[in-house]
Amino acid sequence: METLNYLLETLNNLFLIIADAIRGLFADPQSVWANLTMNVINFIIVVIIVVLAALILILLERKVAGWTSQRPGPNRLGPRGWFQTIADALKLMGKEDVTPAGADKLIFKIAPMIIFCLPMMTLAVIPYGKDMAPINIDLGILYFVAISSISTLCFLMAGWGSNNKYSLLGGMRAVAQMISYEIPLLFSLLGVVMITQSFNLGVIVEAQGTIPFIVLQPLAFVIFMIAGLAELNRAPFDLVEADQEVVAGPFTEYTGLRWGLFFLGEYGNMTAMSALAATVFLGGWQGPAILPGYVWFFMKVGVMIFMMMWVRWTFPRIRIDHLMHLAWKVLLPLSIVNILLTGLGIYIYRFVMGG
Amino acid sequence: MSIEKTEELILNMGPQHPSMHGLFRMVVHLAGETVTNIEPKLGYLHRGMEKLAESRTYSQFIPYTDRLDYLASPHNNWAYVQTVEKLMGVEIPERAEYLRVIFGELARIASHQVCIASTALDMAGWSAWSYAFRDRERICDMYEMTAGSRLTVNIMRIGGMSAEPPEEFWPALQSFLDDTPEMLEEYYGIFFGNEIAMGRLKNVGILTKEMAENLSITGPVLRASGVDYDVRKAEPYSIYERFDFDVPVRTGCDSYDRTIIRMDEIVESIKIIKQAVRDIPGGPIMAKVPKVIKPPVGEVYHRVENPKGELGFYIVSDGTTKPTRLRIRPATFINLQMLPIVAKGWKIQDVVAIFATLDAVLGEVDK
Amino acid sequence: MFGKGLLQGLGITFKRMVGPNITEFYPEEKPNLPTRVRSSMGLERDKCISCNMCAMACPNSVIKLTSEKNEANKKVLKTYHMDVGRCLFCGMCAEVCPTKALKVTQEFENAIYEPEDMQWDMIKRAERKGKVE
Repeated sequence: METLNYLLETLNNLFLIIADAIRGLFADPQSVWANLTMNVINFIIVVIIVVLAALILILLERKVAGWTSQRPGPNRLGPRGWFQTIADALKLMGKEDVTPAGADKLIFKIAPMIIFCLPMMTLAVIPYGKDMAPINIDLGILYFVAISSISTLCFLMAGWGSNNKYSLLGGMRAVAQMISYEIPLLFSLLGVVMITQSFNLGVIVEAQGTIPFIVLQPLAFVIFMIAGLAELNRAPFDLVEADQEVVAGPFTEYTGLRWGLFFLGEYGNMTAMSALAATVFLGGWQGPAILPGYVWFFMKVGVMIFMMMWVRWTFPRIRIDHLMHLAWKVLLPLSIVNILLTGLGIYIYRFVMGG
Repeated sequence: MSIEKTEELILNMGPQHPSMHGLFRMVVHLAGETVTNIEPKLGYLHRGMEKLAESRTYSQFIPYTDRLDYLASPHNNWAYVQTVEKLMGVEIPERAEYLRVIFGELARIASHQVCIASTALDMAGWSAWSYAFRDRERICDMYEMTAGSRLTVNIMRIGGMSAEPPEEFWPALQSFLDDTPEMLEEYYGIFFGNEIAMGRLKNVGILTKEMAENLSITGPVLRASGVDYDVRKAEPYSIYERFDFDVPVRTGCDSYDRTIIRMDEIVESIKIIKQAVRDIPGGPIMAKVPKVIKPPVGEVYHRVENPKGELGFYIVSDGTTKPTRLRIRPATFINLQMLPIVAKGWKIQDVVAIFATLDAVLGEVDK
Repeated sequence: MFGKGLLQGLGITFKRMVGPNITEFYPEEKPNLPTRVRSSMGLERDKCISCNMCAMACPNSVIKLTSEKNEANKKVLKTYHMDVGRCLFCGMCAEVCPTKALKVTQEFENAIYEPEDMQWDMIKRAERKGKVE
């Protein structure tokens, strides 16, 4: 029993132990050079997480699509088709890179690069385990939402730069949709911030030791999920890339690896949003001590991603005016009501506890 | 409040576009997302069917009719062979009539399933699409075991049917009929009962009764506008007056009713097939017709109720083995006129949905 | 009310997700097609009486056949060509054949690489197969 507990403890702190060992290689473990090395290593780890997530999720998306329609999904390459994404990536690399003649070349080329950077920047503030946030900043939530809203700009750049009418329509839709949904998204997170009195994601996770915030803030969780889906342009809110209407929206003119970057960015953003949901509402790395914290965290992220995919392959696409009505007339008032209720709840709690 | 005038965007949708059901093309004039005008452009799938008929004998043209409305090919066969039989004055055996009704109604179910599926797909309802197509496969299997082909079945001949259904056809048909209520429940659960789909389709693309009548719309699209008109009832052909069935009519006049009326029609078709299976007599399936078909001099028009509307054939014969003139009155070609009128003022998304509810098959539109 | 239909839809897809697959694993498991399926044509040379009925029934004049008279003054098939590039696979030729020498077969893997391969020499095809299925 003792050894088992020791083993779990070691596993739980495995990455911290490794980090300490690397720092120990330097003469002064807290020197500038040690910090710089650690930052580089952290950055590489986040990049690996983004790329791995994209690799797994692209396959998983196709598998879920298959399962919902009673098919096995991709099953040709490797055991049960697990190497499908690698083949896809190789195919994308081999494709000709076309820039349309009438395109605004600089904007056209920058857009996929920026969108690929965003998930790396947002995933850097997520605590993957106890004290395992690559960068621990105090305004974590605010930073996360601010960075993820840059993707609006990328869609508009891609839509405008492509010099294609479908792309332009898609880009315009992206701006209208994503700016509207920023507001309920942030407001739904405010309830949690009010309870914990902190914007720091690490503190928020620590506060969920006994009870995850989904129990205290169910309304906020639902609003966050809906607004998050819209923010990510996932179905049923995928008006930006609506296949059946604007063909692929901003991505219509992209080929090869540029298009692949958009794809990686989309799945990276999806991982980031699921990670935020898991951190803020599902208790992050907190969980029964039978598994290490980071395993709990990734399991929660996986559940969130599966929910998103399940929703995508079930629902038809929403109409653009309904989309706007939902944001401004339903979600925004509801999220304000949620803030009010949370405030009242905190006040009553303090009153009862005599605080 | 002043309204700023902005530039009109002319968007070319099709012929290569994911939601254009084949090779349809429309030039959409847009003000923002709102459609101000639509110009449909046809003819990308034109194969000259009517001219081809003039150089084929009467029997040789039957496989070509499969390629008109390829989602309900037995119906096209049926309309054509009945026209020729009317011209020749041939009486066909009872059993063949019943088999024709069974296959015709199966084709109606299959076609409506595709309509439901493609409407769902045009709104990104992927699962609804795959479930409807999954169930349609069973009808294709039944075609396959009887006629030997899944899509262009070529199942009817002048004077009867090409083949007697094999032994295993009847249990397959029975199990399909038994499973249909469950299928319809599933389509309803995943698509028609879904609030997002309702929001997309309800009160969108209003085609009023007067408009529908003036545009000579036929089929489910007309009946969804509250007009009780069905060729099977109005001018019973084949043996339809023997069956007890209702013509479903809805009065919503919107996209939702135009789609869900096909569910009601599937229920009625099931009723007809059940009665036909119960009453089917034994006997031959081919009438005595000469090997070389030479109708008398004259002309004839005959119409049937295709899943999409009224399908008519007009044949002029000069007494030789080939028709002098053959004219096809396709249902969706005429139904398609409503698109520019109805879709005006709606968003691009709604235009896609309205076009899907018309259930246009370009093989029939372009002939 | 709002939400009920959405949950119902999610329930249906989840049921299908955990339920069995309906996919046919085609290249590994060959489908068992009904005997009436007209995926290609097969000729039995000995049965053919060169009556030319098939060529006349064909809507697209796909079939071209020649024959010669033997010593007993009976027509014997010499060549039999099908231009399947124009074929509708409607099966009318097999239907009119009085001796059932021409039959529909269930051999559906007809993909070819060269346009010339669309000219089927039916006699050679029959010999290659050994017999007509």
